Amino acid sequence: MTHLAKAKFWVQLSLRWRWLLLFLLSLGGVTTTLFLIPEAVIAAPGSAITVVDGLLISALRSTAPLLFVVLGETLTQRVGVINLGVEGQMLVGAMTGFAATVTTGNPWLGLLAGGLSGLTLSTLHLFLCLVCRSSQIASGIAVWILGSGLSAFFGREFVGQQLNHGFSTIHTPALASVPVLGALVTEMTPVIGLSIALSPLLGLWLYRSQTGLTWRAVGESIPAAHAMGINPFHIQCQGILAGGFLSGLGGAALSVDYTLTWAEGMTVGRGLVAVGLVIIARWNPYLALPVALLFGGSEALALRLQAVGAPISPYLLGTLPYLVSIVVLMLNHRQSGQSGGMPDGLRSVFDNTT
Amino acid sequence: MHIQLQGISKRFNSLLANDKVDLDIFSGEVLALLGENGAGKSTLMKILYGFYQADEGCILIDDRLVVIDSPYAAMALGIGMVFQQFSLIDNLTVAENLMLASTKTPKWQWSDRTHWVNTHSCLSQLAPTIQPTNRVHDLTVSEKQLVELVKVLDADARVIILDEPSSVLTPLETQRFWTLIRQLADQGHAVVLITHKLEDVLACADRIAVMRKGRVVEVCLAHNNQKPELERHLSSEDLIHLMVGQTELPVVHPVPPSLAHPRLHIQNLWVGEPAAVSNPGHNAVRGIDLAIASGEIIGIAGVAGNGQQTLADAVTGLLPLTQGTVHLDGAPVHQAGIPYRTRHDIAYIPEQPLQNGVATDLDLVKNLVVKDINRMPFFPRRAKQRAQALQLIQAFNVQPPNPDQPAGNLSGGNLQKLVLARELSGSPSLIVACYPTMGLDISATQFIYEKLFNHAQTGACILWISENLDDLLRYSHRIAVLFQGEIVGIAETRRASRQLVGKWMTSGRQAA
Repeated sequence: MTHLAKAKFWVQLSLRWRWLLLFLLSLGGVTTTLFLIPEAVIAAPGSAITVVDGLLISALRSTAPLLFVVLGETLTQRVGVINLGVEGQMLVGAMTGFAATVTTGNPWLGLLAGGLSGLTLSTLHLFLCLVCRSSQIASGIAVWILGSGLSAFFGREFVGQQLNHGFSTIHTPALASVPVLGALVTEMTPVIGLSIALSPLLGLWLYRSQTGLTWRAVGESIPAAHAMGINPFHIQCQGILAGGFLSGLGGAALSVDYTLTWAEGMTVGRGLVAVGLVIIARWNPYLALPVALLFGGSEALALRLQAVGAPISPYLLGTLPYLVSIVVLMLNHRQSGQSGGMPDGLRSVFDNTT
Repeated sequence: MHIQLQGISKRFNSLLANDKVDLDIFSGEVLALLGENGAGKSTLMKILYGFYQADEGCILIDDRLVVIDSPYAAMALGIGMVFQQFSLIDNLTVAENLMLASTKTPKWQWSDRTHWVNTHSCLSQLAPTIQPTNRVHDLTVSEKQLVELVKVLDADARVIILDEPSSVLTPLETQRFWTLIRQLADQGHAVVLITHKLEDVLACADRIAVMRKGRVVEVCLAHNNQKPELERHLSSEDLIHLMVGQTELPVVHPVPPSLAHPRLHIQNLWVGEPAAVSNPGHNAVRGIDLAIASGEIIGIAGVAGNGQQTLADAVTGLLPLTQGTVHLDGAPVHQAGIPYRTRHDIAYIPEQPLQNGVATDLDLVKNLVVKDINRMPFFPRRAKQRAQALQLIQAFNVQPPNPDQPAGNLSGGNLQKLVLARELSGSPSLIVACYPTMGLDISATQFIYEKLFNHAQTGACILWISENLDDLLRYSHRIAVLFQGEIVGIAETRRASRQLVGKWMTSGRQAA
């Protein structure tokens, strides 16, 4: 009897935390895949670098910028606004973040500046969508093009520079000796840690807090939210601005923490991929991490294969993360039908695009 | 608590929705706000709830002037409203919906559960069948209404405004709802019941305010009120007159069918999936033979979901037939497609006009002329179409009468009028009408019946599907009853009785 009660307790507990469990499981799954598959597929004898070595940390490094953007876009779409301008916001954030880091020498200030510049650019989207009531798709594309133009213009003098004082890695000697985790932790930067921590934190906030509930309500139905005494305009503003800040932050993470350089158009469609990944993650912050890791992981894998000297054109290898995203989007679409957890408010966005 | 509305006026563009309205609302009393569609009842109450702002006038609570500039302000003052369209969010759970509406919800869900316990007990009292973890889109309409009511009560509302609450309920649910309203009033709440149904008023109101064209034309006590005050009582006939504003309604008399040989001939009609056909209750139609003479109105009665919709779709050619034929004037309709239908003037008034009858994003003009799309010249004359549309809008009294607005902006009753205006214009040879007077007020209903009769007199055959037995028995020539997709009984209306038709409706042929 007590065993039964115990089992019941655990079942209930696991039901209550099922999102977290799912999240951890998928994280574990992705990690294992990243470790095992490449070794099985390609054994590169004679090569100095093995495919697997440090793959997880490089996966996380390329994931972190994207993860910020996916989380930001999740927040924006949760309040019923779709922002295709994240690409432009990322570029502006990357440029500003890089410039601020170069001039001040402090990468944290660079991150902050990047986030704020993304937020500033998103106010344009906010103005066009919420004040002028123009089409969100058209407005998003305008913001995207504007962002890439602005970043190219102001970033001219920073092209070709290299950061030599980015974020230092977190040094924990005690952990460094642990087999897998040690290698991971020694190369972990605060930015990566922040992005990983943000995913469950935002999940908790969105699903468990009163304000998170308010945001979800606005995304589902503006008239209903209005009738409940919520001001949907304010919430949507906050959603767009939060998304703008996080996408700028993601851009800054890309230039300040990942590539350590600035180049025109360096995001190469990561912002738009993020919009797609939001759909794959079903507008769920918990799932944003594994989904973003999928893209980051395949990018890291592509780079690693190139380094190992796999007989594939580097251009084709560069498309690998995008191919993986497309395949997952297809599988996801087939599995969940038209909408898996899509906020109802977004439906009207697509209805009004004509 | 005593709420006074003084001199409230509200204008929407050209339409004066409220014209200097004065109204008093008292605690412990059910006030029925009675009036036709578009009389301004809902607008007035939405002003009290802060959904709209009044152009003129003021609101006093206990002789204190208050400003209600948002629903939030209204809730803070203890005013709650249950709308006709529910403001529940389908994708969230019942609990989440309740938490959203409440001002006392804790910031985080795992802390401070005391308030939630209160809400939960309120929910289980009013609606024991609803689990707080249910998703709202799995609830029935009446359950959703109860959740709305819990939401309002949970916000400590002392004034509860109910907008057409009984329009979505079945008769049994309505009776339960009346009891609930009486209980609320006895607990000291002030209840405002917006309605156009006299049954509601007579069943549970203490005081009646009748509105017409934006004004309160009369305030009186209801029959069941025992308060010995010197206000006058009114009979239900008086109330109807007050609502409609005419002393005499045009009376429509049925004319006997003119010919014996049928114009529309339905023979051995089977529609539906093979599995559904063998398994009754799947809204299939099974072996229907029916002949309708020119100028005859056939009423189809039956409990909803016994194949009415399928029958209508099959006769108008929207559904492929499994077996059987439909002939109109000797020509087979069932083999032809939709273009044939419009060319041969088959008018179809579908169920749920919003989904089935209009293009919500197009304006009224396009919605009205689209019926003639196959007869239009290559470059249609817009001015002419607009003039035609305006005429129809005026004739059928579609409110607001602006031909350039999208049809989706219209309220339910006016949308129905729009579809009727389109389908009943011209000279159709066959009219298939599903619940044509759904959502219409008394005078509009009369007008529609008149129209149907005019068409019948000019030789159209009319297949009229309705659930309103009284009207069917009064106005149709013959009445047929659908039960599980079959016609279980058909009789001339003057020989049929309510009891007979009722028996057919509930138990099929065996009882007949």
